[in-house]
Amino acid sequence: MGGKKPDTSGPLLHARKVGITPVEINKRKLIIELAGVSKFYRSKSSFFKEQRDAIIALDKISLKIFEGEIFGLVGESGSGKTTTGRLIVKLEEPNEGKIYLGENEITGLRGKPLKDFRLKVQMTFQDPYQSLNPQISIYDTIAEPLIIHRLGNAAKQQAKVREAMTSVKLSPPDDFFYRFPHQLSGGQRQRVAIARAMVLKPRFVVADEPTSMLDASISAQIFNILLEIRQKYNMTLLFISHSLAAARYLCDRIAVIYRGTLVETGPAEEIIQNPKHPYTQALIDALPKFARHEGAIRYDTLLRPQRQDSAYDCCCPFFNCCKIRDPWKCGREKPHMEKIGEAHEVACFFLKEQKN
Amino acid sequence: MSLLEVENLSIGYQTRKGFLKAVEGVSFTLEKGKSLGFVGESGCGKTTIGMALMGLLPNNAMIVEGRILFEGEDLVKMSDDQMRRIRGKKIAMIFQAAMNALNPVLRVDDQIAEAVLAHDPDCSNEDAKKQVASLYDLVGIPRERMGDYPHQYSGGMKQRAIIAMALSCRPALIIADEPTTALDVIVQDQILKEIKNLQKKFNISIIFISHDISIVADVCHDIGVMYAGQLVEYGKREEVFDSPIHPYTHALLASYPTLTGERETLKSIQGETPNLIHPPDACRFCERCSRSGTTCGIETPVWAEKSRTHRVLCCMPERSA
Amino acid sequence: MAENRIDGSMSSRSFYKKSHWLTRFLDGWSIFKASLLGKIGMFLLILFALMAVFSFIPPLIDPMYHPMTGVDPEIPNSTGPNISHWLGTDFMGRDILSQLLAGARVAFMVGVSSAFMSIFLGTAIGLIAGYTGKIVDTLLMRLADMIMVMPTLLVVLILAALFGQLNIWTIVLIIALFRWPGVSRVIRAQTLSLKQRPFIEAAKVAGASHVRIIFRHIMPNVLPLAFLYMTFRVTSAIIIEAALAFLGFGDPGTVSWGMMLQWVWKTGHMFKAPYWLLPPGICISLITLSFYMLGRAMDEVLDPRLRKEGEVD
Repeated sequence: MGGKKPDTSGPLLHARKVGITPVEINKRKLIIELAGVSKFYRSKSSFFKEQRDAIIALDKISLKIFEGEIFGLVGESGSGKTTTGRLIVKLEEPNEGKIYLGENEITGLRGKPLKDFRLKVQMTFQDPYQSLNPQISIYDTIAEPLIIHRLGNAAKQQAKVREAMTSVKLSPPDDFFYRFPHQLSGGQRQRVAIARAMVLKPRFVVADEPTSMLDASISAQIFNILLEIRQKYNMTLLFISHSLAAARYLCDRIAVIYRGTLVETGPAEEIIQNPKHPYTQALIDALPKFARHEGAIRYDTLLRPQRQDSAYDCCCPFFNCCKIRDPWKCGREKPHMEKIGEAHEVACFFLKEQKN
Repeated sequence: MSLLEVENLSIGYQTRKGFLKAVEGVSFTLEKGKSLGFVGESGCGKTTIGMALMGLLPNNAMIVEGRILFEGEDLVKMSDDQMRRIRGKKIAMIFQAAMNALNPVLRVDDQIAEAVLAHDPDCSNEDAKKQVASLYDLVGIPRERMGDYPHQYSGGMKQRAIIAMALSCRPALIIADEPTTALDVIVQDQILKEIKNLQKKFNISIIFISHDISIVADVCHDIGVMYAGQLVEYGKREEVFDSPIHPYTHALLASYPTLTGERETLKSIQGETPNLIHPPDACRFCERCSRSGTTCGIETPVWAEKSRTHRVLCCMPERSA
Repeated sequence: MAENRIDGSMSSRSFYKKSHWLTRFLDGWSIFKASLLGKIGMFLLILFALMAVFSFIPPLIDPMYHPMTGVDPEIPNSTGPNISHWLGTDFMGRDILSQLLAGARVAFMVGVSSAFMSIFLGTAIGLIAGYTGKIVDTLLMRLADMIMVMPTLLVVLILAALFGQLNIWTIVLIIALFRWPGVSRVIRAQTLSLKQRPFIEAAKVAGASHVRIIFRHIMPNVLPLAFLYMTFRVTSAIIIEAALAFLGFGDPGTVSWGMMLQWVWKTGHMFKAPYWLLPPGICISLITLSFYMLGRAMDEVLDPRLRKEGEVD
């Protein structure tokens, strides 16, 4: 790629390369676990309509996120990735399954335990233009979680706000205290949102498509900020995105989700270089490669035009689009996640026949 | 004669806070059958250029100077009537979030037929519908879906319908302003391939406007990099990507995460874009430039030619890697 | 938040807050200035406000100018404009001009307080209905529907007929009680749309309670709309009061324009004394018009979608 030189600036590269190998992960603490979580939205009709009328956002997904890692959840629109994030921060409740924070189950929390939970798990939203209240100053926006949880007096709160703002590179903080969202650019607003999520020093932060609405160079800044925060505060991050390339840059492990089902999970580099599920392969094929390199692998797993004929509800979700599918197997049964290497899991019946 | 020649185009908007110089001194040429991509971040002026080519600038905008020679005629000097005849027929546009440009209460084939009939009043309704059908085949929408309403289409299908509408009069030039934002990755890839095929098939010239350099790289022959209303680098796709000269182009390329190669630290660009109401006289990128020299803040940069097709607006082009 | 003087920045926060409001106000003001309707409305309102203020002056000059009790000893009946009575006198010899000025005072009082009450009620109910949703929402909105379909004037007339002459403040209260549904529907719609906005969800994720969300996040965004509607409510309040007074059900102890019209009619001077009939009628029309214009101009300020082109963000 023209124009780029390897960067040897210490901390970031160090953080990624030394960071989290699959072996090390298993030794770390489990922070978030989803066990068989499903979420569906029923249309408002009588009791007599069957479940088939429901829109299934998530279909019995299970995943584990360990302390200190940046976990990427990658999928297209409608895949359920945002829903997963919302379930973890308890903006919504799952219809089936359980969610755990550490060892404690958090499904169905209410009242004081819920408020305590909020101290530990936070979220940033996709749209920086809408996730800040336009009537409230930047200082008040970032300080709000501290006020809600009554942490410290005014002086301590101000110090915490300052610290949060410096770590997202809004410097000097005092310049921004009394400004309002409409006076900031998109990148600055998103940084305010990150500062707000961090000011409570939570253990786990869900970053829902933090850069989809930002330009590329601003996105780069946000990514680097997230990496630094993880490093400095040992925070665990769930990075939700539609971009595999961004996930590759940022994340230690990636999970690919399609239509409410996890299809592949594994270490980031492994997923990118060695994808095994046809959907992941299709995603990689679809990414624009600037001035295609010779020998770029094309997996060619997408069936066009798509078939419409899945008569069975319990089939593989990728059935209609998959080139390598077997109507007798893939059209009748849903594949489960199988391990095919260290920490690499795939939900597909055709693992043995995959070309390397 | 080239299809489109733009010379020294400058456009500004009259706002409450002053006169905003959105585009300044942009010149480029486009041949028949070629595609040109404008890349830059929000506010750099690329959409304004697209609107100017279509004659769709808002009331508070004015073309301060410059010429837009389309097939030899200057579009800047044309009247509204003349522009209306060209718009749609010779130059078509695909707007940003064009999926929202479909009228939700009309059937899609009716809307596209309307576009056909607008430019060819002698055509009968049946003929128009036949044309729509062949357009659907072209863009890859099943014919059975012709009579549906927009809300029944998926995002990708709506975008294809918009492309069909743009193609309906076989224009010579299509201006595509961010045609694939808001689409999923896989659909985006398919649409881009469609556009490339159609371009080859009908020898249409395309101007692609996007903030995403990776899309433009796949589709366009020539690339123009814009910053703060100015064209800062212009050249063939390979030239701009494999050997960029302008520091902004470097920075832009370095801020995209890639799938292959080393996982290098992404570089972000410090600072903010300059105020276009009072832009600096000297290089507009100077404050954020990592390679700026002593003269950069004072001298007005001029065009330097690296090759016959590759030029850059920079005071110190020799400082590139 | 506590204004501790730990360091300079804290104490200057109020300054920055004020200057923010100032810039927003000035921004809005420049849009308002551009609107012809707004300027006319503002001008008229200032005129009427001055009238209301000046209403205290005539009795001070001479007791015979008192709107209710001032009787010119030399003039026992209705006369046209002359030097000592610029608009003439009514059937009892009372000065019409001072009545007109007093009427302005009453109009403002009735209009503004009734509007204020109905806005208060409507906003509170709209907020609760919009935010809570489900059963509470349904119940409140059905209540609003029922009240909305009842003809206010008719009901007030019936009540007046039942209870005899009503005190002006009772009238104000009743008008307010019948006028809140319109406001509450609008506020509810606004609340519903705000509820879904990401910054509300962000507040929830931060741990904010429902009360905090309503008062800190939703209400400030909803209040401008409420104030806008207040201007419309003022017009209807004034008209209802005038109608009541005209029909004879007003408070006989207060001089309002409607009362003046009633006297004109009752004493048979309708076609005989235009100098008496026209001023109150014109004033009623103009004041309602001016509030309406003000409301329309404010609409443009508050709703960005209505702003004219040329506002590049």
